[in-house]
Amino acid sequence: MTTTLQPKTKLPPSRHEFAEVVHRLEAGGAMVPDTPENLMQIVGIWKAYAVPMDFYWRDLLYIAEQVFLNPLPFFKYFISEEYLQRHNHYAGDDADLRIWRGEATVHPELKAFLERGETFKMPRLLHHLWHDRINMEFAEECMRAMLWHRGMGGQFDPYLDSEEYKQNADRAIRAYFRGNPLMLGLYRLFPDLFLEQCRQASYYANLGLFWEVMAPVFFEIYDRYLEGSIKTVKDAVDFLVNGIFAVAGRPIYHHVYIRGECYEIIPKSKGFMWLYEAALPYVEAVFYRTSPFRGTKSYNAQAHMIPDKQEDFHYGVLYADKFPIATAGIPPTLLAQDMLHFLPDFLVDYYRRHCRGEDDMLVQLGISFQRSMYTVTSAVFQALRAALLYPLDDPNPRHLWANRRFFEAQLDRFCRPEYGIRDAARLAYVQSPDYR
Amino acid sequence: MLSVLIAGPVLGALAVWLVRDPRQIRLLALVVSGLMVAWVGILLSRFDVTQPGMQMLETWTWLPNLGLNYRLGADGLAISLLALNALISWVVVYSTPVEVERPRLYYSLVLWASAGLAGAFAAQNVLLFVLFYELELVPLYFLIGIWGGPKREYAALKFLLYTAISGVLILIGCLALGWLSGRPDFDYPQVQATVARLGFGLQVTLLLVLLLGFGIKTPLVPLHTWLPDAYVEASPPVAMLLGGTVAKLGTYGLVRFGLELFPSVWAQLSPALAAWGTAGVLFGALTAIAQKDIKRMVAYSSIGHMGYVMMGTAVGTPLALVGAMAQMVSHGIILAILFHLVGLIERKVGTRELDVLNGLMNPLRGLPTVSSLLVLGGMASAGIPGMMGFVAEFLIFQGSYQVFPLLTLLCVLGTGLTAVYFVILLNRTCFGRLDNRTAYYPRVLLAEKVPALVLASLILFLGVQPRWLVQWNETTAQQLAVTQLASAPLTQSVSLLP
Repeated sequence: MTTTLQPKTKLPPSRHEFAEVVHRLEAGGAMVPDTPENLMQIVGIWKAYAVPMDFYWRDLLYIAEQVFLNPLPFFKYFISEEYLQRHNHYAGDDADLRIWRGEATVHPELKAFLERGETFKMPRLLHHLWHDRINMEFAEECMRAMLWHRGMGGQFDPYLDSEEYKQNADRAIRAYFRGNPLMLGLYRLFPDLFLEQCRQASYYANLGLFWEVMAPVFFEIYDRYLEGSIKTVKDAVDFLVNGIFAVAGRPIYHHVYIRGECYEIIPKSKGFMWLYEAALPYVEAVFYRTSPFRGTKSYNAQAHMIPDKQEDFHYGVLYADKFPIATAGIPPTLLAQDMLHFLPDFLVDYYRRHCRGEDDMLVQLGISFQRSMYTVTSAVFQALRAALLYPLDDPNPRHLWANRRFFEAQLDRFCRPEYGIRDAARLAYVQSPDYR
Repeated sequence: MLSVLIAGPVLGALAVWLVRDPRQIRLLALVVSGLMVAWVGILLSRFDVTQPGMQMLETWTWLPNLGLNYRLGADGLAISLLALNALISWVVVYSTPVEVERPRLYYSLVLWASAGLAGAFAAQNVLLFVLFYELELVPLYFLIGIWGGPKREYAALKFLLYTAISGVLILIGCLALGWLSGRPDFDYPQVQATVARLGFGLQVTLLLVLLLGFGIKTPLVPLHTWLPDAYVEASPPVAMLLGGTVAKLGTYGLVRFGLELFPSVWAQLSPALAAWGTAGVLFGALTAIAQKDIKRMVAYSSIGHMGYVMMGTAVGTPLALVGAMAQMVSHGIILAILFHLVGLIERKVGTRELDVLNGLMNPLRGLPTVSSLLVLGGMASAGIPGMMGFVAEFLIFQGSYQVFPLLTLLCVLGTGLTAVYFVILLNRTCFGRLDNRTAYYPRVLLAEKVPALVLASLILFLGVQPRWLVQWNETTAQQLAVTQLASAPLTQSVSLLP
């Protein structure tokens, strides 16, 4: 059953290839059809995503702040208790802005999983070696996508090339390797190498701070869905848009703690904001671009199988192949494996009833994840439209036309014939409930 | 003893008409065919591999005035093919979908065909052989014509016409053998003695008639044109029966009625026969490469592999003959697994088109076990070491190289071409990406995999333990080769010495 959203626009129907989607966006909805089944999948998978994300952001910050430039970071995924208990700034009683009504420390389901895994209780090293753990490799791949696709706008990325950043990094590097003549000698010989590692650590911090916000947002949407206050996909989009604006100004920074002393490589005072320096680059890098996944299929750049320009890359989750072979820019199997542990019961029941049941649950939840990310992208569209353009119920038709041109321009990214983007984008697929 | 292999399926074919429930019909057919496998196991355990000549002889004078006696026996060649027939029959019954239409008629016909094939392989009387030869033709015509694909009627009629002509030619040849003896006795030893007394020209004529007859059945190029249609239009289980066992009736006839009855003429014609076999190898492989339908590709591969049998039989050295006989069994099992897997793919994916199939190795939504077994079947068919296909082809090449080096090298080239088309098939079918739009294939149940798993186990076991494949034939091959060399003029015999 589709919940029909009545477009409030007074404009004639769009003639865009995805006209129905344009109309849905103009009515405040999402690119995904607003059906109870879609809502159930989207909200359920957000919860399953948010639990490992609660680990991702803690470990990303742990790596950025504590592991930093450790040349042999074997234990970077062995997060300290301090970081597990670190209070999320958007959950708990002492939150800066309480988005989720739950606890600020590690999520109970995550805590239980970290202790027992999917096997049984054993030393953490054995869980790690058995791969019975949260796959931080996925989070790092997202971070690398942001690092590699530099120059996506904002002030954060140019700052990494500034003299101020280099001086801050230099102080931190020298402090970190104090008493280690070998590493200091290497630093003298190859300063750019260490600086680049420092930039990477800054992106660890950037992504960690981004996800610190998103995890409680997803938890809260899930709780509200269970309570019945979120009834449609549009409700979920509205919640996301409101959340985006509420935390838009959250500072993005990079602090390193060396022997108890804090080194501010990117100080909060620089005024880098969550929305422009983390959220938008993240969406651009991870949802759209990323890079050809190191899977079983090889890409031949000389045969123009890979776009010449990085901004034309289209290997992100919005284009991802649902089968775990190549084409998707992020290692989808690892994320799917992480989400599998935390699926709500109603979603498990739903997957059992379709396709091959438990045998291909990883594929089914991957497609739900793709639907949910189209919804997040829709919220970003709506947030940008609200920030840069006009209200959806604006009485001025010229303003409505501007809104439409904005939405259509966003959808054009899924329709470009070059590099086969039109075929690669899954926007047309997610319109159908049979896409599983 | 051997009569059980004929009487069992016949009784089973009659008994299925007493049962109503389709599942019970299938169960009954499975039990009967399974008992035949067990019985063949007993026969194999009692078979003396060191003894040349026929064993387990059964004789019953039937129509003495016509020279038609119910005389059965088995040498190494016959016992191998009887075992193959029992196994393939069981696999055919097992792999038939439970929901097959008109199950009583279907299973009855399969069992009739199995009985006819067992009778033909065990017959020690020429007329009895022809009788059984014709007996299996009728059920196969209906099996293709009723349960086949869209062009089943055309394919069945073509099969009927070709095989009927084949039967007529064989009948003419056999009757001529009886008439020429001056008294109506069609038992094999008597016929063999008669042929030895015939002039060279008459022997050549009779051999050519029989070669044509069995060449159609095998089939040999250019008498093969019924095969692609019949194999492709037949349902996968029936295609397994056709390629796995029925085609062996042709190669069996080439050895039994060609090499064994006409050794000296065979020796004279062996270069031409070997060239004929080589042409089949190359034609089958090259034509298979050009196919877009995986079932048709497997069908053409069968033509190529029958060429190896012809090559080994034409050479006539003990080693080549052991290889040719092993190739009959090996090809039967490999072709059965390939047709079974192709049938599963068609049933689950809904197509056999190479240009449409892709990525079936995908572990979550593809058919990974089926794909893995298809890779194994393809490797076995291409003669990869460690599998039974290699054993048979290697023995043929070892036995034929000293006699016909150039033709042998061309056959080796044929194995390379076999690898080419199987790489094409496997690459397009199993590897690559599944299509996001279409990949909602039903899973393959364990029960559906069982036939392929059984056949794959045999392919691997007989590949690493080839003695279990060749020990039955060694003495028979030695005897056939010795017979040939002793009967052939010295000048020709020397050229055949390994």
